Amino acid sequence: MTRAPLVLAILVAGAAAFGSVAIAVRGPAVPEPRVTGRPIQVAEAGYVSSDTCRACHPSQYATWHRSYHRTMTQVATPDTIAASFDGVTVDAVPGSPMVLEQRGRELWADFEDPDAGGQTGVRMGVRHPSDPSLASGREQVAIGSRRIKRQVVMTTGSHNQQIYWYATGNSRVLGQLPAIWLTADRRWIPRRAAVMRPPGGSHVSETGAWNGICVACHTTNGQPQFDTPFGSAAIASQTADTRAAEFGIACESCHGPSDAHARANRNPLQRYTSHLTGRPDPTIVQPLRLPPARSSQVCGQCHSFWEFADPESERHASARGLPYRPGDDLAATRFIVQPTKNLDTPEMKAFLASDPGFIRDIFWSDGMVRATGREYNGLIDSPCFKNATDPARTLSCFSCHTMHQTPDDGRLIAEWADDQMAPRSLGNDACLQCHARVARGGPQDISAHTRHLAGSSGSSCYNCHMPYTTYGLLKTIRSHQISSPSVQATLETGRPNACNLCHLDKTLGWTAQYLDTWYGLTPPALGADEQSVAASLLWLLKGDAGQRAIVAQSMGWPAAQQASGTGWLTPYLALTAKDSYDAVRYIAARSQRTLPPFRRDQLPRGNPQLLIEANGTFNAEVVNRLTRARDNRRVFYRE
Amino acid sequence: MSVDYGRRHLRFGWWSLLLFATLGLVLESLQGLKVRAYLDVSNETRRLMWTLAHAHGTLLAIVHVIFALTWRSAPASLPSPRLISASLIAASVLLPGGFFLGGVTFYSGDPGVGVLLVPIGGVLLLFALFSIARAAAGSR
Repeated sequence: MTRAPLVLAILVAGAAAFGSVAIAVRGPAVPEPRVTGRPIQVAEAGYVSSDTCRACHPSQYATWHRSYHRTMTQVATPDTIAASFDGVTVDAVPGSPMVLEQRGRELWADFEDPDAGGQTGVRMGVRHPSDPSLASGREQVAIGSRRIKRQVVMTTGSHNQQIYWYATGNSRVLGQLPAIWLTADRRWIPRRAAVMRPPGGSHVSETGAWNGICVACHTTNGQPQFDTPFGSAAIASQTADTRAAEFGIACESCHGPSDAHARANRNPLQRYTSHLTGRPDPTIVQPLRLPPARSSQVCGQCHSFWEFADPESERHASARGLPYRPGDDLAATRFIVQPTKNLDTPEMKAFLASDPGFIRDIFWSDGMVRATGREYNGLIDSPCFKNATDPARTLSCFSCHTMHQTPDDGRLIAEWADDQMAPRSLGNDACLQCHARVARGGPQDISAHTRHLAGSSGSSCYNCHMPYTTYGLLKTIRSHQISSPSVQATLETGRPNACNLCHLDKTLGWTAQYLDTWYGLTPPALGADEQSVAASLLWLLKGDAGQRAIVAQSMGWPAAQQASGTGWLTPYLALTAKDSYDAVRYIAARSQRTLPPFRRDQLPRGNPQLLIEANGTFNAEVVNRLTRARDNRRVFYRE
Repeated sequence: MSVDYGRRHLRFGWWSLLLFATLGLVLESLQGLKVRAYLDVSNETRRLMWTLAHAHGTLLAIVHVIFALTWRSAPASLPSPRLISASLIAASVLLPGGFFLGGVTFYSGDPGVGVLLVPIGGVLLLFALFSIARAAAGSR
């Protein structure tokens, strides 16, 4: 019995020693408010963070936790970075190579100072920091020759790319490493190559961009907290006490600040009253219960092109963040850029005065958005949204997407997270909810409407009415403005139509003829090339960089390869691999990798539409003529 | 008519132990067969409730056996054996039963209304344990 205290003391001492070693290995956890050198997470102003939500909503928390929304912004640690920093040298940067190092749980980078030659900066809002045309009033800087060594403290993204931010040493202002990591390819590329921008030009410093711009949408209740409005002075002369309720797009980004909800529902009577009556809880915003227009605005707060309504709004946002809260009218605090409706408004005119190329670069000439990540702009111009009169039959983001994987979704959670589609929307059912009469051949058979085999890619509503005509993040995604294939629209806007994005080997004339025969669309007047050369080649050879990217991606699309054959694609993709735009070259190379090895004997000889002669050579005269006629305007996508 | 509480609780305890040990085997099978209705994240509340039902039922079954042996060793020491026996049996039904029902239907992180049986069973259990403990102390 007398040994018991001794044994107990030994056990306690052992546990304490084990705990101390564990803490020493992991590093002491610094309370977030005391962290310096980077933005911090502070739940205030009615925000409580997802940790609080987890207790009562474990399922919703779990699916959100596996989403790319959560990992949009993370503190950089060995656990959150996608790339290795362990003694890695990265050549894919302007100037001399960048050297990465991992010291315990700290990540460091040695690279040429992007701010050595001067300063740039940009404003919050629709503008994108990587767009040189937007640095109005500021010089573009050549990357400096001075090397600096900085701790990498934050990351952006995890799905397609990961961007790394370092502590500049100036308050909580962040700078961006000059290379980014492509997650699928598992390789570094220069940051400037990751966005669609004209060739040449100098490196653009993005110092301060996270604090001033990214924080708005990549965190929950982000507050830049600049001492003077971001962009009003050189970033080196500004300080920022940037903070957010939570890094990443968390529960309260969509449900609003939840302190009142959490407090009210600590009372079990309150909770069970809600459960048993099914009454909405007035202390929280449930986007699914909002009218379609309002619920879509919850997504639109980030997935849209917008501008501040006035300078005062911009000044306020530069300090305290954006005033919009889920459930609010988004248009009350922002100017949503919608060329089809507000091109002539004073707000738009003022906006275009500061950025003349904006509409031209981001929207097709008929007002359809052509940049990825701005799906709300497409939605609100869709007939299924703007012409709808019945809320139950009005298209909204939640008609197809779900932010929490549902129990009836049999897919792996990683598969769901890729696009967060609701299981009912994976096929034609999403459209047939309202357009049931199209399924004349049976519940799923829309072949009478599509004139393509039931179940084929040509009988997919999405492929014809939401073709891959928006571009961003080195890939194309579906247009979120529902439309029907139209050669007339293609001629007027240059936007590739759905038919020719799949039937890559056919001409616009061929498409016009079928649209006339099947749907009664009067064929427009076409030029000689449109009648005789495959539309994909016209876009690939003489289109602008955006059109070239769209077609190059389509050439790697299995459905298009099946419809058009693959024997002729390699030479054209090889030609595109010499494109002056990094992004176009990258996409062409990626599509090239989807093709079998090129064999000259498999070329479709004697096919004038593909500019292939009977002897298997290419019609160099026409290829060169079309290439010389290329639309070489400088294309900047605000991705 | 005198009641043989020792026999009653031995019988209840062992049958109860069999029942809840079987439930444990069923739960292990659900784990082993990766049944989504039990293992999915969306069913975390069910998993917790049924695990609690298994644990409480098994533990209370053992309490019945111990109570039976206690009764046999000193039958005269318990002040109101009928009340204690009834409380113990009711607790052994309500506690695991409440947890089990709470996992049949539930509301995200909140168990179903069947869980309301749990606090009732808990109070009855505490009453029985307190009475037994007090009697045991008095018997010294």
